[in-house]
Amino acid sequence: MDDPTNPVYKDQRHGKSRELLYSYDENGKFKKTVGFHGEPDRVILQQAWDVFNDRIENARQKVIIGKVSPIVYYMEKNLMDPLSLSMLTGISIWRVKLHFKPFMFKRLNRKILQKYADAFNIGVNKLTKVE
Amino acid sequence: MIKLDYEHRQAGHCESGVTSNLLNYYKYKISEPMVFGIGAGLFFSYLPFMKMQHAPTTSFRVWPGMVFDMTTKVLGVKAEIHRFRNPKESMDKLNEVLDKGFPVGLQVGTFHLPFFPPEYRMHYNMHNMVVYGHDNGTYFISDTLMENPVEISYNDLMRVRFAKGTFAPQGRMYYPTYVPSYIDLKPAIIKGINKTANNMIGIPFPLVGVKGIRYLSKRMRKWEKNLGPEKASYYLGQVLRMEEEVGTAGAGFRFIYGAFLDEASRVLNQDWLKEMSLEMGENANKWRDFSYLGSRHCKKRGKPEQSYDYLADMLLECADREEKIFRKLAKIK
Repeated sequence: MDDPTNPVYKDQRHGKSRELLYSYDENGKFKKTVGFHGEPDRVILQQAWDVFNDRIENARQKVIIGKVSPIVYYMEKNLMDPLSLSMLTGISIWRVKLHFKPFMFKRLNRKILQKYADAFNIGVNKLTKVE
Repeated sequence: MIKLDYEHRQAGHCESGVTSNLLNYYKYKISEPMVFGIGAGLFFSYLPFMKMQHAPTTSFRVWPGMVFDMTTKVLGVKAEIHRFRNPKESMDKLNEVLDKGFPVGLQVGTFHLPFFPPEYRMHYNMHNMVVYGHDNGTYFISDTLMENPVEISYNDLMRVRFAKGTFAPQGRMYYPTYVPSYIDLKPAIIKGINKTANNMIGIPFPLVGVKGIRYLSKRMRKWEKNLGPEKASYYLGQVLRMEEEVGTAGAGFRFIYGAFLDEASRVLNQDWLKEMSLEMGENANKWRDFSYLGSRHCKKRGKPEQSYDYLADMLLECADREEKIFRKLAKIK
């Protein structure tokens, strides 16, 4: 358990902090240890990040070929879904989904763009393109 | 500038750790498993209609905030709880309470927490931490997940307190105002165990408690056929993440609960509780085996004979064990 190297995580910043973990041994004692997570726990965390990164990359490609608006990319990048984005911006969920279409996105005024920009914590001029 | 003399202790579960640390500040020594047991924190629910990170929500604990509420109520500790609509107002109230000399517990979302380990920065709104001082826009934080106390800026704190999504915290803050000088633990423990037993076997609803585990096992058998291997393994991974990662200290709180039963047997002088704690420990190890085998599936290295059916059978066995344990625990006097 006490293993600082991380062969599982793909991001180097991951797996650096030690946590308190409980365990139970055959003698009937519950033990507290401060240490790193074992390999099975790392695998399941890395799986989630793989899925998130795939979704972000997928959204980026779709924005580049003009299928969806950049809002989708930033939404995926912030690990949100339409519901939480709608809660954060105060725009109803069907309108948020409407703004996913590039045609509708181009027509948005500055006020609504500002709401999205605030939700994603970026500038308005950055919102129109993906990196 | 104010910085209270608050002792930071690391804990396995954020909310019971925060509660135990807060009570410890008022010179009342209580351990983390004890708080978890008295607060009736153990639970199981599987909610397929509520999506969290694109997969059904599985929870191994009660609603956020219940552990603190229940513990303070049963122990006779007076506490104040506030929720806010306006972020600015909530920060003013926080400063005011800190200046009076109370350390304050906060419910926050983890995605924008700057000091949090990067691998955990997903949208998880049930995290708890304690603020014990502020200095000109910098707040001193004791987060039970971290080894050392940390600091956070005004804007970041406001952002995490008003995170949105499932279980949005809405700036929830809570702090004990009065702790009685003598507290009798015995009735509190009995109440906590009764409540947990009722939660696990007494609720006539198929998605929660022991029935919820059985329901999950039934659904799990169909995942591969209905969703395809990719999504099925992601759904399984979600169950395991909820079980092992997000501040459960391993095996979906079963280790902590076992430690609580162990401690309770000594406080109440009832030997059969010690046996129950051993059974709970074995049950926890079973859950641990389940997550170990499941993680091989997530890595696409699962053996064919250990398919989803095999995992579902393991879940059924856990459900049977837990039902047996809680049927016995419900008879506590």
